[in-house]
Amino acid sequence: MAYTDKILEKSIDPSVHKMLERAEKLNLETVWDRYEAMLPECGFGELGVCCRNCNMGPCRISPFDDQGPKKGVCGATADIIVARNLIRMIAGGAAAHSDHGRDLAHTLLLTAEGKGGGYEIKDEEKLKALAGEYSIETQGRTKEQIALDLARAVYGEFGKQEGFVQFTRRAPEKRVALWKSLGIDPRGIDREIVEIMHRTHIGVDNDPVNLILQGLKASIADGWGGSTIATELSDVLFGTPMPVRSQSNLGVLKQDHVNIIVHGHEPVLSEMIVAASNDPELVGLAEKLGAKGINVAGICCTGNEIIMRHGIPIVGNFLQQELAVITGAVEAMIVDVQCIMPSLGPLSECFHTKFISTSPKAKFPGAIHMEFSEEKAFDIARQIVQAAVENYSLRIPEKVLIPEDKTECMVGFSAEAIVKALGGTLDPLLNAIKSGDIKGIAGVVGCNNPKIKHDHGHVVLVRELIKNNVLVTTTGCNAIACAKSGLMLPEAADQAGDGLKGVCRTLGVPPVLHMGSCVDISRILTLCASVANALGVDISDLPVAGAAPEWMSEKAVSIGAYVVSSGIFTVLGTVPPVLGSKVVTELLTRGANEVVGATFAVEPDPVKGAGLMIAHMDKKRQALGI
Amino acid sequence: MYPGSCFGRKGDNVTEEKSKYIIVGASAAGMAAAHTIRLHDRQGSVTVLSEEPDTPYFRPLIPFVVSGKKRAEDMVLSGCGPYTGRDIFVRTEARVESVNTAEKTVSVQGSGVLAYEKILFATGSRPYIPPEIKGTDTKGVFALRTLAHARNMAKRVKTSDHAVMLGGGLLNLKAAFALLERGLKVTLVVYSPEVLSQLMEPEDAFLIRKAMDTAGLKIKTGCAATHIISEHTGVTGVALDHGGEMSCRMVCIGKGVRPNVEFLNGTNVWIDGGIVTDRYTACSAPDAFAAGDVAVTFKPGSGDRIMTALWTNAVEMGRCAGRNMAGVKTAYSGTLGILNATQVAEEPFVSMGVVHTKDRDFEVYRHATDTTYRKVVFNPQGTRLMGAVFIGDITNAGLYRYVIRGKMPVMHIKRYIMDHTLHYGHVMTGKM
Amino acid sequence: MSQPKEIFVKTHRCVGCLSCTIACAVEHSKSKTLFGAISETPVPKSRVYVQWVEPDGKVPLVCRHCEDAPCMYACISGAISRDENGVVITDTDKCIGCWTCVMVCPYGVIGRHLEEHKAYRCDRCPDREIPACVSACPTGALVYDTVDSFSAKVRNHVSRELLRAERG
Repeated sequence: MAYTDKILEKSIDPSVHKMLERAEKLNLETVWDRYEAMLPECGFGELGVCCRNCNMGPCRISPFDDQGPKKGVCGATADIIVARNLIRMIAGGAAAHSDHGRDLAHTLLLTAEGKGGGYEIKDEEKLKALAGEYSIETQGRTKEQIALDLARAVYGEFGKQEGFVQFTRRAPEKRVALWKSLGIDPRGIDREIVEIMHRTHIGVDNDPVNLILQGLKASIADGWGGSTIATELSDVLFGTPMPVRSQSNLGVLKQDHVNIIVHGHEPVLSEMIVAASNDPELVGLAEKLGAKGINVAGICCTGNEIIMRHGIPIVGNFLQQELAVITGAVEAMIVDVQCIMPSLGPLSECFHTKFISTSPKAKFPGAIHMEFSEEKAFDIARQIVQAAVENYSLRIPEKVLIPEDKTECMVGFSAEAIVKALGGTLDPLLNAIKSGDIKGIAGVVGCNNPKIKHDHGHVVLVRELIKNNVLVTTTGCNAIACAKSGLMLPEAADQAGDGLKGVCRTLGVPPVLHMGSCVDISRILTLCASVANALGVDISDLPVAGAAPEWMSEKAVSIGAYVVSSGIFTVLGTVPPVLGSKVVTELLTRGANEVVGATFAVEPDPVKGAGLMIAHMDKKRQALGI
Repeated sequence: MYPGSCFGRKGDNVTEEKSKYIIVGASAAGMAAAHTIRLHDRQGSVTVLSEEPDTPYFRPLIPFVVSGKKRAEDMVLSGCGPYTGRDIFVRTEARVESVNTAEKTVSVQGSGVLAYEKILFATGSRPYIPPEIKGTDTKGVFALRTLAHARNMAKRVKTSDHAVMLGGGLLNLKAAFALLERGLKVTLVVYSPEVLSQLMEPEDAFLIRKAMDTAGLKIKTGCAATHIISEHTGVTGVALDHGGEMSCRMVCIGKGVRPNVEFLNGTNVWIDGGIVTDRYTACSAPDAFAAGDVAVTFKPGSGDRIMTALWTNAVEMGRCAGRNMAGVKTAYSGTLGILNATQVAEEPFVSMGVVHTKDRDFEVYRHATDTTYRKVVFNPQGTRLMGAVFIGDITNAGLYRYVIRGKMPVMHIKRYIMDHTLHYGHVMTGKM
Repeated sequence: MSQPKEIFVKTHRCVGCLSCTIACAVEHSKSKTLFGAISETPVPKSRVYVQWVEPDGKVPLVCRHCEDAPCMYACISGAISRDENGVVITDTDKCIGCWTCVMVCPYGVIGRHLEEHKAYRCDRCPDREIPACVSACPTGALVYDTVDSFSAKVRNHVSRELLRAERG
């Protein structure tokens, strides 16, 4: 079957080609159509020089020397406006991740109080370890008692006014000392985000460098605070992921099953949907309606959460959410928060699909709202699953087209799972790094973005890295792209350089390790901290690098900021809206090295992007004398 | 000397009147030529001879007289658009009976002989009434061509309830919609399998057909009229070739046109269907030119002989002839045989260049949605755009015409053509 | 008569903000204010277009009021004429919405007002000294100038650039 170039150049994924052709045939609009309709995009926005922070404007700065305004009405220069806009993006991203973390803390609190409607503490070992970090007494106490103290302590991190956020102390001492000396050691999670909003108000902070430092501070509160909390408490409640095999891509939807997709981010909802879908009564109902069973599958980071813990198959990443509906085989698309396209509502109306929103924070046009609450979690999840099952009878067989494409994957590499795979100690990894079998470790993360051929940035960059013996850790939409491309199988070691290939074969692991959802980048931070501590160096001394080849969200900006703040060189595949300011661009791509020991680079070509990362690792190895 | 003062000295000793430029025919080609001459020759007298009783008007507007949307005075050509040249003398009801190309004179019915230095034949065409349809010579049978026809048709509407239109061409469709607007029941009888068969293939026309159905037009395809049934008050019905009959009080025949060349019978002007012209719009007699529906010209690509009956082409040809007559030698760039834009009911469409591709060796792309249709035709090698049909969305149609007419290589812009996303920005940034 | 001014486009200056399109639509609205214009029926139309060319080209397109305006000659209803300032005008009363002008304009700058079934185009803002799009352009991508003055400025700019290049 030959597709038009127009379709082929949108993605490397054949399932996407098939569904885009389907969409065209059915005259359905997708994200790519809307992107094309948006072109050309506004250059002021692209350069970050548009300011709407007060009503003397809106202001925008002309990028050309001899023409147009050079200052906003208040006098803000392009440098000030770009810095303010950038850190407002960080505030947005840090708020999203951290609010996700807060929800987990809330769930843990309710569970410890016995009010969680079906949740339980699954990983007592981790609970105790975390309690230890907070100096909470564990001896002779029930897990609920410990959890209550831990939940309260963690909950307190968000509204804390002074001191520090506990999990930031996982970072090497040198790093913490650096943050302190720069004044970017966060005092409390919410506080730093609020302070960004204050500082970027008209007439407050008008020093681009000072503004950016506050951005870094809030981002550290995200990465080492909110995101880490989200990861760790999810592990306590739902279990720490261990390697498991599953399948990925649109082909995991089943023609003869009730297909339920959970989409969004927080496992609080999806865990209960998974549990409810196993309810024999509901399975019976599905069978009564002619289905062979209930097939739950995930999209985006919700998908990452449940594939890691339950081996529940994953339908696809961000740009595939509409395509899943277009299969016509989805009884319910159940969503909570983040990265959910509002277009799903009108699109679902073209099919029998029920688009069900669940979070009081996130309502959508055309969605049925079935509000979720932790206190009655299982009951509500059951109602939602029942609604999905009942919808099976409304499926229109002529409208169903499920691509065959699906790929095996091995996922679930939490930091704990990696250590376990290494035989209980990091030493084999350290030795492999020292010997050069592993050149370095890359964290490749981030979204999809129609500006970049779907998955091309992700997969090409990762392939290039493993070919050069770089062990890749991944989360989020990159993880899903790698899973679909077969890079998450031990057999994929064949695509790796000889050194990495040997290590993977010995351990029986893939060269690309799925570490979870986007908040689980905290797992990569924890891993890097452990390696640095084991070697007695700072993270910025390690042969590690980050990349976000197809990023688009504010969360990604926050991630980029905390990864660089942690001392990790990071390559971005799409241009952030900062080029309107020479000062900010210079700071992020060069000056930051003097400050936090790492910089950003922008490189849309994934092969060249990988090249930058490898060159960086070589430099760091040389400095370490290995 | 005031331009034209050499003309009209009746009663003097001078027996023969003279005008430097004589233009036979006062529609698109003739008037475009007249005004173009005036741009280049501010002195020479320009006389336009029209057999019609009306002063020159925009002929394509006559359906609006039928519908009652426009009055004849709203359609006057002189002074509108590019027709603003001064001192152009138009004689109405001046029918040219014959031309003496050796003496360089024309004989006008009822008013003697006129001499010229340069002459343009722009006599246009008249409706073709197929002889196989019997009984057309009765009241209430029309072939819409002139303002006078339109007035008569408009009058007849008052005593009619049903009109039968024979032929599914564009002009007949426009007349049909005009009658619909007047509240008549209108039936279109089309011999071809689909309407507008000159401008597109049957499968291209489905959106237009849908729009016509929605508008309430009744259409019978694949059949023809054999004779018109009439009594003393005129037409009462139409008999069809498959045996059926339709009662009606009005019939409109739209079966194409024939060029008006008879006045040149007996001259040495080369006639082959129409008046054959060279690249500079000159015909075979000295100082004689031809333009518009009556002229035989050529296609830009192949150089094939071609006659078109299109206002836009006639204007272009007339302008070219006007320049040549005024001494500014200008080659005519030729025309696309099919070049039409209009709106039928609520459906705008454009059809240009090669659009009939059935059983022919072309690379063809079609794309249809509920509201739009497009067909783009490339040469067999797929390297040049040959023609296009756009229905519903005619955005940037002019650029596609430019590409077709310029025979531009399209390999690097082909995708935009197929997706209908080509725009002039591609030209400006050097993509084509 | 002094040479009339025209709208020139400096393509490399366009950042694609679409300010020109908003200003044009507002100028051609009844209220002539943005907040009024957005609630009018029919919605006011912009006569200037910003097109995108891969990979990052942004190209403003506006009627050039061609010297040999094909639209004017092609018009079958005499609705298109040129005024004393050289501006090619579409007379809405005469326009019958046949779209012949759309079919012959290679620039694609003649719009179709579907509600009114009329063609529309740039009229160079007869009520303004400087056309609205030019005034609204924040980067100088649109310039209102005479042909002579504009080309002189372009020549000056080019020679300055050449000099600068020579001097390193």
